[in-house]
Amino acid sequence: MKQKKKKILQGGRGRCGCVSSCRETRCSVRMFSVLKERVGQILLPGDEFCCGPQDTLPLTDSGKPERLVAGPGLRLSGDRLLVSRSGVLRHKEPNKFWIESQQRRYVPAKGETVIGVVTAKAGDVFKVDFGGSEPASLSYLAFDGATKRNRPNVQVGDLVFAQFIVANKDMEPELVCIDGSGRANGMGVFGAGGLLIKVSLGLVRRLLVPNSELRADLQQLFPCELVVGMNGRVWVRAGTVQQTLILANLLQSCDTMTAPQRQQLFRNVWTRLHGAGLTEDPKDQLVLCGGPEPMDFLVFV
Amino acid sequence: MAAGFKTAEPLEYHRSFLKENCRPDGRELSEFRTTTLNIGSISTADGSALVKMGNTTIICGIKAELTNPTADAPGKGYIVPNVDLPPLCSSRFRPGPPGEQAQAASQFIADVIESSDLIKAEDLCVDRGKLCWVLYCDLMCLDYDGNILDACLIALLAALRNTQLPEVGINKETCLPEVDLEKRQKLHIHKHPVGASFCVFDDSILIVDPTDEEENLATAHLTVVTDEDGRLCSVHKPGGTPLSGEKLQECINRATARQREIHKLIDKVLDSVKTTQ
Amino acid sequence: MTSFACDKHRFHLESGVMEVSPSTVSLIREFGCEQTLLSRPDGSASFVQGDTSVMAGVYGPAEVKVSKEIYDRATLEVLVHPKVGLPGVRERSQEQCLRETCEASLLLSLHPRSSLTLILQVLHDDGSLLSCCLNAACMALMDAGLSMGRLFCGVTCAISTDGEIITDPTAAQEKESRALMTFAIDSKERRVMMSSTKGSFSVHELQQCIAVSQKASEKIFQFYRDSVRRRYSKNL
Repeated sequence: MKQKKKKILQGGRGRCGCVSSCRETRCSVRMFSVLKERVGQILLPGDEFCCGPQDTLPLTDSGKPERLVAGPGLRLSGDRLLVSRSGVLRHKEPNKFWIESQQRRYVPAKGETVIGVVTAKAGDVFKVDFGGSEPASLSYLAFDGATKRNRPNVQVGDLVFAQFIVANKDMEPELVCIDGSGRANGMGVFGAGGLLIKVSLGLVRRLLVPNSELRADLQQLFPCELVVGMNGRVWVRAGTVQQTLILANLLQSCDTMTAPQRQQLFRNVWTRLHGAGLTEDPKDQLVLCGGPEPMDFLVFV
Repeated sequence: MAAGFKTAEPLEYHRSFLKENCRPDGRELSEFRTTTLNIGSISTADGSALVKMGNTTIICGIKAELTNPTADAPGKGYIVPNVDLPPLCSSRFRPGPPGEQAQAASQFIADVIESSDLIKAEDLCVDRGKLCWVLYCDLMCLDYDGNILDACLIALLAALRNTQLPEVGINKETCLPEVDLEKRQKLHIHKHPVGASFCVFDDSILIVDPTDEEENLATAHLTVVTDEDGRLCSVHKPGGTPLSGEKLQECINRATARQREIHKLIDKVLDSVKTTQ
Repeated sequence: MTSFACDKHRFHLESGVMEVSPSTVSLIREFGCEQTLLSRPDGSASFVQGDTSVMAGVYGPAEVKVSKEIYDRATLEVLVHPKVGLPGVRERSQEQCLRETCEASLLLSLHPRSSLTLILQVLHDDGSLLSCCLNAACMALMDAGLSMGRLFCGVTCAISTDGEIITDPTAAQEKESRALMTFAIDSKERRVMMSSTKGSFSVHELQQCIAVSQKASEKIFQFYRDSVRRRYSKNL
């Protein structure tokens, strides 16, 4: 696990199976532009966008219906697009829309990577608590190099970094610690040391976004390892226990701060650490092992 | 065939009836089940009544006791209603302390008694600040087939009409109350609040007097209580799908008509009791 | 803490539009709301209407007891805790109203075989308690990020002895009134989702109170929007 974590993972699950919350529809050009206007604004449940054929289109427009992908927080009902969650409307070119909200409770989605705790061994499967509504099952064969003879060494209470292979509302969620080609790809049981903390799901997304500002700020402090699960659990480890605790506290406080506030805090911490001689030069890169590109639940098949 | 359809797709089964403006038991949408009333069925109680609406059966017994009035209302007696849904009446109720539905029903009955001025609390006072009547109204469901609120209200009203309180005098020397069980006086009932319950199917279709099955499948419930002057004593809609003002008006009109029917029924039954005596 | 005062003048102008007798006093007390103020629940909110204050917390979708499991939707449990003493029959009846209102607005079928728990703690009761509970519940559900088909808000109206309609009455006004009604209004069509009344009143008075509540609900929904905007201002 240790050396596997040393590389930065990205795009581990490029094309995930489409999540149930992700729907595709054809909509009129007019609705598309209305939606685009509202990007970055706050929407509340019950707000709706009409995309009926009765929309009058200017003659100059091609009138060609565009395809639209509705992500989390948006629901399609007939020819209307309904908002079902409060939050900020986000858009990704060319045609994906979703509502970004700050949740705390995790609802599993296929392809997402999470940090879970093994709570029981039940025959051939482990039960893993990942903070959702029911424990997920994890087969002992779903580990890199595991066979019927060669069982992985997993104990109750161990932390695992795993990916959802089955996650829908009607079935028991199922985790695996291997990717499509049977490789661990950074997943598996955690080694000793480190600290597991809980943050909001919004913060996790901000950590995992490509070129994340938050990650860049963290990198300035001291070398550390971070494992980020999409379920809001973050495992941190730095050179010393003290540094690990500082890092954990910083991450947990990031939730409620704006970017300038955060940078100010980080600067303060940095000068203090240097004053106390608690850090060496941040030569090493921040090692991040976590879900790949966030928002990738919006990719459609 | 029909039984299988009913078990597998209960909602579709009901919908197919509602499409034809009728219901599985042959009623129209705005038709109540046959209401039967028996007054004075419990001889040991001070007042009692038994109501049957279709299969739903509620029995109400009233026990009057003498007690001290509360400090904040020295000139008033009080009424304590209690709705009991025992495991006997339906498999959904378990033995033990009353569940949410029973408690909510008790609260509803208490609210209606207070709102409607059914009985003036002052009438229950015997000696200001010292002695008053407390009426324990126990409503027990014997058979649960939906719409217990309407049935409870009818049972309560009929039992209160039937209640006769003995005369009480206070002995000047001992300062103790003396009850004359031979001389009994009827309670004075000021208003006759009667309820009409509705269910909303598929957010739009209104049906009256729902059965247990219909209650379970409906998206909203509504109970309107009116008195003989056409005033509303309660418009109780504990959540569910939204209802427009026009639909609400429809319900109120139906409820006023229902009030007259039930008022007449109670009078008729009381008359027949009198003549047989 | 965000707060909002309804200015009396403007509200009067608007009430003229909707055929409400001029005697109607349409005043809403100052109200405020704060979201995500508790660290343990998945969603929390406190709602203040004048001196009435309610705190709400939501847990879920979480594991459900087998006895309460529903195969095609989530089980919603509502608990109301009074300021002093243990919850009694009155709280049970409030819980029923709140639960059925929340059930109608939440998309419970998205989380089958799981449980949602909504806990409301009354901090202070100075009238219009049920409507304050409804508002706190709606804000907490939104904060938890649960999928909802529509929003709802609570409005309490009191009819005073001289026939005046007072919206959002204080405890003293409630005591003096001859009828008291609480409605939950939905955000889509401004229809009545829940109604709970006390005292007797005429049909006309009922329709008037509904109209007044519908008007007042617009203010509250606008307030919802403003406070969610404030909450997300750091993420915009």
